[in-house]
Amino acid sequence: MKKIIFLFALLFLLLTHTEFGLANSSLASVSDTTSQTLSTAASSHAEKTLPSAFMVIPFVVLLLMIATGPLFYKHFWEHHYPKVAIFLGMITVTYYLVVLKDSHSLIHTLEEYLSFIALLTSLFVASGGILIKIDRKSTPFANVILLLFGALISNLIGTTGASMLLIRPFLRMNRDRINTYHVVFFIFIVSNMGGGLTPIGDPPLFLGFLRGVDFFWVATHVWHIWLIGVLSILIVFYFIDKRNSGKGESVTEYTGKIELRGAKNFIYLLIVIISVFLDPKVLSWVPSLHPLPFGIREIIMFSVAFFSYKFANKEALKGNEFDFDPIKEVAFLFIGIFATMIPALQLIAYETKVYGAQLTADIFYWGTGILSAFLDNAPTYLNFLSAAMGKFGLNIDLYQDVHHFQEQDPIYLMAISVAAVFFGAMTYIGNGPNFMVKSISERAGIEVPSFIGYLVKYAIPILIPIFTIIWLVFFYGRG
Amino acid sequence: MNTIKKALEEKKNGLYYGNRIILPFNCTLLKLIYQSEIIYDFSHCSSEVIVSEGENFTDIYMKRHKYLKDDISKYENIKIVTAEKGSDIFDFSNHVKLILTLNDDHRIIIETPTDDQVFID
Repeated sequence: MKKIIFLFALLFLLLTHTEFGLANSSLASVSDTTSQTLSTAASSHAEKTLPSAFMVIPFVVLLLMIATGPLFYKHFWEHHYPKVAIFLGMITVTYYLVVLKDSHSLIHTLEEYLSFIALLTSLFVASGGILIKIDRKSTPFANVILLLFGALISNLIGTTGASMLLIRPFLRMNRDRINTYHVVFFIFIVSNMGGGLTPIGDPPLFLGFLRGVDFFWVATHVWHIWLIGVLSILIVFYFIDKRNSGKGESVTEYTGKIELRGAKNFIYLLIVIISVFLDPKVLSWVPSLHPLPFGIREIIMFSVAFFSYKFANKEALKGNEFDFDPIKEVAFLFIGIFATMIPALQLIAYETKVYGAQLTADIFYWGTGILSAFLDNAPTYLNFLSAAMGKFGLNIDLYQDVHHFQEQDPIYLMAISVAAVFFGAMTYIGNGPNFMVKSISERAGIEVPSFIGYLVKYAIPILIPIFTIIWLVFFYGRG
Repeated sequence: MNTIKKALEEKKNGLYYGNRIILPFNCTLLKLIYQSEIIYDFSHCSSEVIVSEGENFTDIYMKRHKYLKDDISKYENIKIVTAEKGSDIFDFSNHVKLILTLNDDHRIIIETPTDDQVFID
């Protein structure tokens, strides 16, 4: 508990640091004490000046507004979130250009943003043109199979794509006895925990991949934790669903058919998956388009988004009630998140070099987890990765440092990866697809729990005991 | 008084102007699903929706929106659960689910849900 308090104190320190001499102190002084671990490239980076601690404020404000906007001032938020995100982002951009005269960090961030949004957009649009109809009677076992299938494919088409593809068949299959817990467990498994094995699965892991974590690193290091987590939730679901399966006698006749429309979009999805690897850092023969802030990969992904929509099966789009609002929201919000996050990442890395010895895997697990539950899990992941690397004097901005970190001390990256993905299921705001599934379910006429209801009735009683067991077995006292 | 049944048989269209929806029948509106909002409160003090009735039509005002067309894409729709005016609303067999799709020319296409559209009452 003390460690978690310390972690929050550390974050608080960033905001309230009274000696703003820190703001002008050079990373060069830090590099003296960590010279053995910092690479040559890091040393040149170290010449840069640290941003003022005040510059974390736009990031905190944006994350708090993302968390509270849809709940407490929905109307304002729906109409003005693009302006809010861009305005807060511009504060940071202007500061870096005018005060720090550091355009390198901004360009690096722009490249990362374009990669991130290209992947999400292409997966979202391509999967939105696929309509699956399952005309079978739902049983607890059939539901478990569908959820497990969703968990697996979310690693191939992302939690957003898998949620988009499967939520309607899942609701339709259960229409005679649909209950709020069906939607909640779908969010737990398909929209969050399932995507914990690959960088395509969940946005935080993709950000890690862009920074230098190997594509198969997560799968090879956390598959056993993923399996235990997903199976535990499925077992709980099975027993709850079994109790409910006798209710709502069905008068519907089922053909047993599984129908697919827009199947050609699977080819588009395959192209997206393959293109993830088309990065000069991953495959040396891939040409770089430098100095452009994007590469071949991003061009392919945006092209897939364009063509998969243009030539989509119109009936599938209509059946999915497709529109661009969800991806537009992600695109705008993440402009703000990526921009405002730059000073936070740099300051956290600096602070953890000072307090590094006190940061353990327990802190990274619970810290990443709790913040991922209430803030977006993608920036949370990066901040804690930055902190964990800072503990060893490594720099998250350097590809080779991230690579070195994943091999040197895997326990920290494991804790951060698992917590960022799993705890995203704790609230509607923990991960992007959660709100999308909530919204699709409501559009279908199903009442889903309120923010507090979801947290108190489902997330805390079901997820927290399982996450605690995972912590005790895999992370407690390690690192 | 126009009935829902007759309007569906004659494939009559509704109309929309701004945030006003005009349905070509009289009905008792029980539930309205619009994007992620499920609305039950159709009283005059409702902040979301107001329903009023003409001799042969039903008006629905979506108060939170200025222009519905700006907010609803061509693949989206408004779902309503209604019952014929004067019918027993406590008998579920009298409930009629309808999907309203907005066309570009102020017309609203009124249909019963197809298999593709998930509409759980």
